[in-house]
Amino acid sequence: MYATRKKSIMIKVRAVFIHEFLTVLRSRSFLLTLFLIPLAGFATILIIANLKKDNQGIPLTSIIAPSSEPKPLGLIDQSGIIQTIPESFSKHITEFPDPASAQAALANEVISGYYVVLPDYLTSGQVDYYRSDFNPIGGGSDSYVLRALLEENLLRADPQRLKLFQQPLKLETHFASAAPQRDPDSALTFFLPYAVTMLFYLLILGSSSTMLNSITNEKQNRVMEILLTSMTPLQMLTGKIVALGLIGLFQTAFWSGSAFMLYRLSGQTFHLPIEFSLPASLLAWGLLYFVLGYAIYASLMAGVGAMVPNLREGSQVTFMVVIPLMIPLFFINTLISAPNGSISLFLSLFPLTAPIAMLTRLAATQVPFWQPALAAVLQIGTAILVVRAIAGLFRAQTLLSGQAFKMKLFFRALVGKA
Amino acid sequence: MPTIEVEQITKRFGQQIAVDHASFTVDPGEIFALLGPNGAGKTTAIRIILDIFKADSGTVTVLGGPMTEEKKDRLGYLPEERGLYQDVQLDRSLVYLATLKGLSAADASRKVDAMLKRFELYDHRKKKIKELSKGMQQKAQLIVTLIHDPELIIIDEPFSALDPVNTQMVKDLLREERDKGKCIVMCTHQMHQVEELADRLVLINEGKVVLYGGLQEIRRSYSGQEVDVHALTDLPAELPGAARVAKHNSGYRIHLEPSVTPQALLQTLVERGVQLEKFEIALPTLDEIFIQVVTTAGSPQ
Repeated sequence: MYATRKKSIMIKVRAVFIHEFLTVLRSRSFLLTLFLIPLAGFATILIIANLKKDNQGIPLTSIIAPSSEPKPLGLIDQSGIIQTIPESFSKHITEFPDPASAQAALANEVISGYYVVLPDYLTSGQVDYYRSDFNPIGGGSDSYVLRALLEENLLRADPQRLKLFQQPLKLETHFASAAPQRDPDSALTFFLPYAVTMLFYLLILGSSSTMLNSITNEKQNRVMEILLTSMTPLQMLTGKIVALGLIGLFQTAFWSGSAFMLYRLSGQTFHLPIEFSLPASLLAWGLLYFVLGYAIYASLMAGVGAMVPNLREGSQVTFMVVIPLMIPLFFINTLISAPNGSISLFLSLFPLTAPIAMLTRLAATQVPFWQPALAAVLQIGTAILVVRAIAGLFRAQTLLSGQAFKMKLFFRALVGKA
Repeated sequence: MPTIEVEQITKRFGQQIAVDHASFTVDPGEIFALLGPNGAGKTTAIRIILDIFKADSGTVTVLGGPMTEEKKDRLGYLPEERGLYQDVQLDRSLVYLATLKGLSAADASRKVDAMLKRFELYDHRKKKIKELSKGMQQKAQLIVTLIHDPELIIIDEPFSALDPVNTQMVKDLLREERDKGKCIVMCTHQMHQVEELADRLVLINEGKVVLYGGLQEIRRSYSGQEVDVHALTDLPAELPGAARVAKHNSGYRIHLEPSVTPQALLQTLVERGVQLEKFEIALPTLDEIFIQVVTTAGSPQ
């Protein structure tokens, strides 16, 4: 009897699972997103490759902001500090005997501007800068040339000190850990965890939003009443959570595979320095954290879906629900630069922020095993509580009411008081 | 044993009483009409029977006991709020909903094909639901309701959006199911369909049961002092016992005086040599009874 009942329950969960999986997989919007993103990447690589072929050595920035030949700067030294202009500076700076001649050169667009080092420079440090256009943001960007010239001339009597002044330290960092360490100055040190964070954020948010879409769609299509006379809300919720989670994983695997293929097609080989290779354990943790994070947020979305009359209202409410998921993004610099600090530790253990924050830490540094393990346990507990609370909310009276969403009622349901 | 036993159920939504101590039973092998004006509490009563809503008080017995998950597979429900997956192909949608009623995918697929042929939708099976006409969608809903051969069928407005040909087809289908011993609960505002199909009925108004019993029994109890007469000869100018005589459907409707019975009038007519073709006690239509009960909260005279 019990076995038959269990079998019947499983048959219905499986039916919901297959229906949801195939419905999303066959939907035009899903297929467009699935294929268009890799295609857009392919098109971008193709365009850049063609540009590179046509103009070898063209920097990427010049594609975005066309460059123009920079004009030199003028210099009038009224202090007598500048005795010589080294050969390396001559291309960037031209000396003028007086302001009138510099002004004439500026008017004829021979120079982009000119500096006047005032007579009392040694006591005031005052230098005036004249240029034809008003540009408060980029206008002073060339002053490093004058700065270097002044340094050269001020310390020319002591070349050793000048050298130290220009490069005051050669930092070499030593770590207690035996594991390969990343260069703190490398851009990869920031961008690798950043990429992992963003990927996970989009993955969990995207998959959870599909849940909201599915439930509001059933409410709008008025199928809910037929479904409720065929199975329990919990069976419906379980089938949906599993199906839409797998869809999310499938989408990520497809995009990752496409990205890898595109990378190879672009003529590059995927070769990260050893210290930047992500450990295989990250994949295992990533899979576990996705499942747990998705279970928590998809259930919350299901709760929103149960309480809103339509998708439009649901989308407005979604923001409130996903705020905890966004918090690690606000603290991403802290998570990457101080991955073992107290804020990072708290965010990576707190169940609602842990799916993202812990993954960021794991991509950024070595994390003691007990921390991701504890975070996983806390997330499992939270997922069970949230699924139970939402299943209680996911009842007929709420699903069929068609009333406007009430945040107060939603939170009461989460704490089991609705 | 009744298929459904509703005993004193009450359901409130806030301050409003949707169902107020309602009781009735429905037997196997009968078509039972659940009637009432809009907002009377019919849908709420059905949802309580189906265990979608819980009653505040009272008990409901379905198929010999309280509603269980297993019993959900033994009932077919066509809800007031019609709906199917609009963007899904017709046959896929039907097979999915059939599997939720406990059928295997292969069984569901085979039965869906057979039903689609019977309902003349087979050629449209690959279309998305939203591409079908309203009548076709209504037929698709009926397939969902009946596909798993349920013992208890609850249908809300089964004839809406159907043309006369399809209406007749559905009527034949419901009679067929009744003859197989199924229990059918039908909610409708089309009183002539109830007169034609239903064996018994319950009328709910403002949540309360105001009329309950066999169809003919109710009509008889609401019949007034009126008889319909078709005669081959003219009626006498003076007819003792008749308060008023009026032309009615190529015959006459005779309104009797309060103390006069139809039998006494028949005797008078025969004694006066009137050649009768038809003599019938005029029964009120269900429409008339419905309006009388709902507008005046009237009871049998």
